[in-house]
Amino acid sequence: MTRHDREDRSSSTAGNVPNPDLLTAEIAGDSWPEEEFDSRGARLRDGVREWWPYYLMLAPGLIYFALFHYLPVWEAKLAFEDLRIIGPNLWVGLKHFAQLFASPAFFEVLANTLIISAMKIAFVFPLPILLALLLNEVRSGRFRRGVQSVIYLPHFLSWVVIAGIFIAALSPGDGVINDLRDMVGLERRSFMTESGSIRWVLVWSEAWRSAGWDSLLYFAAIMSIDPALYEAAEMDGASRWQKMRYITLPGIVPTIATLFILNVGLFLNAGFDQVFNLSNDAIRDKIDIIDTYVYRLGITGGQFSLATAAGLFKGVVGMTLMLGAHFLSKRLTGRGVW
Amino acid sequence: MQHLSISRRALLAGLAATPMVGLLSRPARAASGTIRIVMKDLLTTNPEDVAHIGRIEEALAARGHDISIEIVDLPSEGYAEKLNLMLLSGDIPDVIYFQGGDEQIAQQGVLQDLGSLIEGTEHLAPALWPHNTARMANYPYLLYVFPARTKAPVIRRDLLEATGLSAPASLEEWDALLRAIPGIELDGTTVSHGIIAPNNTDEMDAVFDPAFGIDRTWMQDEAGEWIHSRISAGEREKLAWYASLYADGVLDPEFVTSNWEVKEDKFYTGQVGVVMGTAGPVIGIYEAKMAQVNPGAELVLLTPPAGIQAIDVSKESRGFAIPVTTEQTEAVIAFLDFMASPEGQMMDRLGFEGEHYTRDGDTLTPTDKLGAWYPRFVYDNPNHYQPPISPLSDLAQASLQQGVDNFRADNSFVWPADLAAAVDGAETYYRTNVFRFVSGELSTERDWDAYVQGWLDAGGQAMIDHAKAVL
Repeated sequence: MTRHDREDRSSSTAGNVPNPDLLTAEIAGDSWPEEEFDSRGARLRDGVREWWPYYLMLAPGLIYFALFHYLPVWEAKLAFEDLRIIGPNLWVGLKHFAQLFASPAFFEVLANTLIISAMKIAFVFPLPILLALLLNEVRSGRFRRGVQSVIYLPHFLSWVVIAGIFIAALSPGDGVINDLRDMVGLERRSFMTESGSIRWVLVWSEAWRSAGWDSLLYFAAIMSIDPALYEAAEMDGASRWQKMRYITLPGIVPTIATLFILNVGLFLNAGFDQVFNLSNDAIRDKIDIIDTYVYRLGITGGQFSLATAAGLFKGVVGMTLMLGAHFLSKRLTGRGVW
Repeated sequence: MQHLSISRRALLAGLAATPMVGLLSRPARAASGTIRIVMKDLLTTNPEDVAHIGRIEEALAARGHDISIEIVDLPSEGYAEKLNLMLLSGDIPDVIYFQGGDEQIAQQGVLQDLGSLIEGTEHLAPALWPHNTARMANYPYLLYVFPARTKAPVIRRDLLEATGLSAPASLEEWDALLRAIPGIELDGTTVSHGIIAPNNTDEMDAVFDPAFGIDRTWMQDEAGEWIHSRISAGEREKLAWYASLYADGVLDPEFVTSNWEVKEDKFYTGQVGVVMGTAGPVIGIYEAKMAQVNPGAELVLLTPPAGIQAIDVSKESRGFAIPVTTEQTEAVIAFLDFMASPEGQMMDRLGFEGEHYTRDGDTLTPTDKLGAWYPRFVYDNPNHYQPPISPLSDLAQASLQQGVDNFRADNSFVWPADLAAAVDGAETYYRTNVFRFVSGELSTERDWDAYVQGWLDAGGQAMIDHAKAVL
């Protein structure tokens, strides 16, 4: 195929809109033999010239990521330096990592982060899926929209407000939860100060805030399932449970897999705002996570290099976990993030 | 000719003397330049701040200082972090107000030694409080000429009278008073608890520590070894007492999840009997708000059973610093010296004439707005200057005096950066376990030794090792 052939084929599509089939084939390299191009750079240049409106639309996003997500990575070198306000920073190698790992508190903080994240993935992650499946079974559109509005609302509340609500609701003195426990003959408990209950407060407050909003993605995935599948199943006499089990659930597995892998990548982000606002002295040793530790020691205490070392450690672990989950998912289900 | 000669000599002498006379009538060193100042709650968006700075510039000009003051805006929320980030970005103003985070900057040699700079100043040096002098000797990079932030306990007068007890003097009397408060009905509300301290026991410690023999941060045990007060016998006794108050509902069981707003609300609404507040203006605010919520209600200042907690003189916890990068050191010192002068104090402590006070001849009368005014820069010790009218009530003044009368310097010191993680670990461990002892989850009889070992393992041993070298 020559360049003229390619131009002829492009011009045969309606207007300036490229034919998606051809585009796919071209990207796959089926129709553009490598020998037609001097180099990869020439191929890119040619592509940009041809598809420039799309590259133009892509540019703001690329610039944003380059400026705010990739350039700052270079500044992570601060973890290996002593920060100087005047004059260049001093290279100290792994000093800050050694200081971090020598502290018994750091491993307690790391353990808390892992436990809280694991609890959230185990108990909070499935909730939106369940919610989306249940919402999909609601036949009354008005009722479904009403329920959706109500369950989306907590997502828009800040953790400061949510912490206030939970502290008040769980108060052993006049909290509504303890009033209900009183009514059924259970003893009043101080959930916010008991070391056995505070992590569950984090889990359920997270679920209350995010389950509704997160169900939106799954609900959208459910909506994209071909209705013909349901019609065929009905003709075969499938019950509602069977349709959910054999059509809906498999239909949203790719979405579940993608979101699970992304969640695993953020495994060490146990929720700074949430923990910061719900923490108190009584249970700090149970919910002090890497982010709050970094904030307290690094930002408030002015130990920026130490804080960067902890942040870098968190980033590397998060990346490793995400890659691990991706390759595991590829092997088990054939699907990954890419 | 001779006459002329004499006249010429006299004229020459007069001409020579004129500038000398001019110099003598002005401050010894006239300073000039533009000072950039960054300070929490000092903002160009606040017209009162801008007007205050404007009249200070005029007053300085009248003294021969051609100084322009430029406010650097920084949000009050998260001020310490934002300030650190601003400095790290290379923007270093001429006067920096720190509220934490200064040690890392000082350790890099970025802050000037203020001790030598203020030495010999006309007003600033004599305006220092005793705790300022002690702190400057240990850490000369921050200056905060204000009363020490001691805590003072207060109670409603009618509540105290309703207990049938007099103001307590000893720990036993304090115990009796606090236990007598719950259950008393006041204005239709039953007082639920005797005392509350927000977030942790810090405010109670400030009042009760000395009564348990905790008179310093670092104490010597029976063998003469240095130990931290956190693991002392006095701490153990104190926590046992707090636990008994908690168990009997005298200490508000929700104190650890309460912030200062909750504390004040419970105090004003009669749910709690005794609270501690920062001596001076804060006690004045308690008094005003209590009278606002409960017309006619008065507060009584209570006396701690054995004096107040020793004052940390290792360094100022907040205050002004001058970086080595500035070329305006002389102007900054002239500015601060002026703020400590009677004229500067009139401006900084009494606000604006006609708005915060009125003048009729030599008589000054405070207006209602004086309560909302607060000094920004310097608050002289009373031996150097006292304003003709005080913005503080008698109760607030008495609370300040309580702090002055009970002043005792602590022996704590500044920790090196290498021990930051150890100090944080030990402190977190202590805070968590304090609540467990107080709430009864741990027993001071059964679990004390394990607690001490845990504290040492969490970083306390490293702290003690360093303390032995320092002390």
